[in-house]
Amino acid sequence: MVRGAWDVARVALVALLAWPSVVGAQDTVRVESGVRIGITYTPGSRPGIAVVAPAAAVFDSVRAMVARDLDYSDRFEVVERLPDTAALRLGAVRAATYVVMVDTAGTGASAVALRLIEVATNRSLMRRQLPLQAVGTTAWRGAVHAASDEIVRAAMGTPGIAATSLLFVQGGRLMRIDADGANGTVVRSAGRPALSPAWSPDGRWIAYTAFVRSGQPIVLQELATGRRAVVPTTEYGLNITPEFSPDGRRLAFAHGTEAGTDVYVYDVERGCCVQRLTAGRFSDNLSPTWSPDGQRLAFISSRARSPQLYVMAADGTGQEVLGRFDFGATGPTAGPAWSPDGQAIAFQRDVDGTPQVFVLDLATRAVRQITGSGRNEDPTWAPDGRHLAFASTRGGARDLWVVDLETGRLRQLTSGGGARLPAWSPRLSLSEEHRE
Amino acid sequence: MTLTWLHDRFSSARWRLGPCTLAPWLLGVCTLVLVGCGGNPPPATPPAPLATDSLRAQQVADSVAAAARRDSVLAAARRDSAVARSRADSIVRAERERARADSVRAEVLRDAAEGTAPDSVPSGLDAARAAALARPIHFDLDRADLTAEATPLLDEKLAILRANPWLEIQIEGHCDERGPDEYNLALGNRRAAAAKRYLVEHGVAEVRIAIISYGEERPVDPEHTEDAWAKNRRAEFVVTRGGR
Repeated sequence: MVRGAWDVARVALVALLAWPSVVGAQDTVRVESGVRIGITYTPGSRPGIAVVAPAAAVFDSVRAMVARDLDYSDRFEVVERLPDTAALRLGAVRAATYVVMVDTAGTGASAVALRLIEVATNRSLMRRQLPLQAVGTTAWRGAVHAASDEIVRAAMGTPGIAATSLLFVQGGRLMRIDADGANGTVVRSAGRPALSPAWSPDGRWIAYTAFVRSGQPIVLQELATGRRAVVPTTEYGLNITPEFSPDGRRLAFAHGTEAGTDVYVYDVERGCCVQRLTAGRFSDNLSPTWSPDGQRLAFISSRARSPQLYVMAADGTGQEVLGRFDFGATGPTAGPAWSPDGQAIAFQRDVDGTPQVFVLDLATRAVRQITGSGRNEDPTWAPDGRHLAFASTRGGARDLWVVDLETGRLRQLTSGGGARLPAWSPRLSLSEEHRE
Repeated sequence: MTLTWLHDRFSSARWRLGPCTLAPWLLGVCTLVLVGCGGNPPPATPPAPLATDSLRAQQVADSVAAAARRDSVLAAARRDSAVARSRADSIVRAERERARADSVRAEVLRDAAEGTAPDSVPSGLDAARAAALARPIHFDLDRADLTAEATPLLDEKLAILRANPWLEIQIEGHCDERGPDEYNLALGNRRAAAAKRYLVEHGVAEVRIAIISYGEERPVDPEHTEDAWAKNRRAEFVVTRGGR
């Protein structure tokens, strides 16, 4: 039955790739075997969108970025580029429900204007200007991505995920890459590895485990300035898997001593008051992940020998195993990530000794296997709650991949191998606007 | 202060035990008490007359109770000296931890210097002993308990650590590449802790041994074979304070 569903998905995916209008596919889109998504779609069931721009370098680069962002949102069929604005007659764009116009209209040639037009009504749904002087910078790319996300919001009701980036570990270095796979940068390069990066909810701070000569403290680092601070009490022992609470006021992490590893919470806002939440003597309790309302934490515990998924209230009470767990049969579980909508928890679990990505539906407690090809680890949710990034060896080396849970579509995010422990940022455009 | 209080308790206990010196059937209890008294001579106490069986029974009960009291006093004394020892240990530990915390913070702030400082310092031991101390112990898959092969290796280290009380070490726990990266850090921590626990239980001062986990981050053999995995599931022993 799974096989049947998979075949349908595969046919659908092949059909999508064969669809002549996919833009930005390049080498990053692949049909991958071994993805088991029950939900399938037929090409054309999603609204078509066309991105049109005059034939000039700056417009073309914006057009390409926006088209790719819309494609990666997995909410549209991106229609093949149309020749140019002047030749465009909206009524003639049969395949498209929407058209994005990229030009300088109404800006006095001082900016690039982006407009979203609903073809059927010829109504403008959204308009945004990007000042031209910033072209080429990271801020410019961020502004274009933010505009793409606004286009998705105007058409679909919820914003896209183009203006986000992911932190991950590669060869011991802490790296950052934009959600479209561009703009890879080194956040921290040191002789010793950094692990388990996490974002603050405003996207300004990150937390990670630093390996130094005499310990593994949790470090808070401000992205803009590189300013660093060690979380008090993590100068001692093992300190791993930090995770900011959704309000940014607390930091949950795992602290290892000679008596095992337990989950603690540190009050970031007040800079004090470390509180221990678990007491599993000589067992390991780690990888806390907050529910979006900040009321609960899911985590991994080896209290019953095999590491499994547990949940507790944010004060440490009411600890219980989460999801069906057959002793001896259910594989070791790790890396839980609570979805942004609060409905699901993604995690990895060994199947015949190989880790695969699963999603647990909290309402039904049903568990769905997402991957089946190669080793698939460390899932992290995009802020839209429908995309997951994870580390996978499906392409040979271990790289980051992104799957759309609605369609099963996969794309490779990083190359070069050795990538792991991704952490998807919140929507950075929103925090950026907040700051300005 | 504590000592004066103890002396008082001892004296009063001895007083109430006077009658037993005259009762042969109480010799067992007396011997126990005298052994417990150490070198102190018993005070001269007037013998109590033995009237009836019930009185004798009362005396037996009294002396047994007194002996029990004496035992508990001795236990308290032992406890107090253990407390004093552990208090001294904890002061040393606090100092070490403070120094460690300072160096951790300093290392994080000057990122560039990381990785350049050596982990180990010269031990001052001869080559054979240095090698025996450094020899890693190995673990079974996803286990942190000591194997039968590991304990003789630890006993070797134990002898060296006892004979060279200035030595301090760091035990590093490592894992093979299977298993989640973060879980492996916790597992490596348990492995290092198990090795430390063995040494401490056999008399090495707790403050002389630090532990750290590298999870699967530092394999000795980068291959992806059972052989390599077996080598990588290990605890290493690094001298952090040498001597001579």
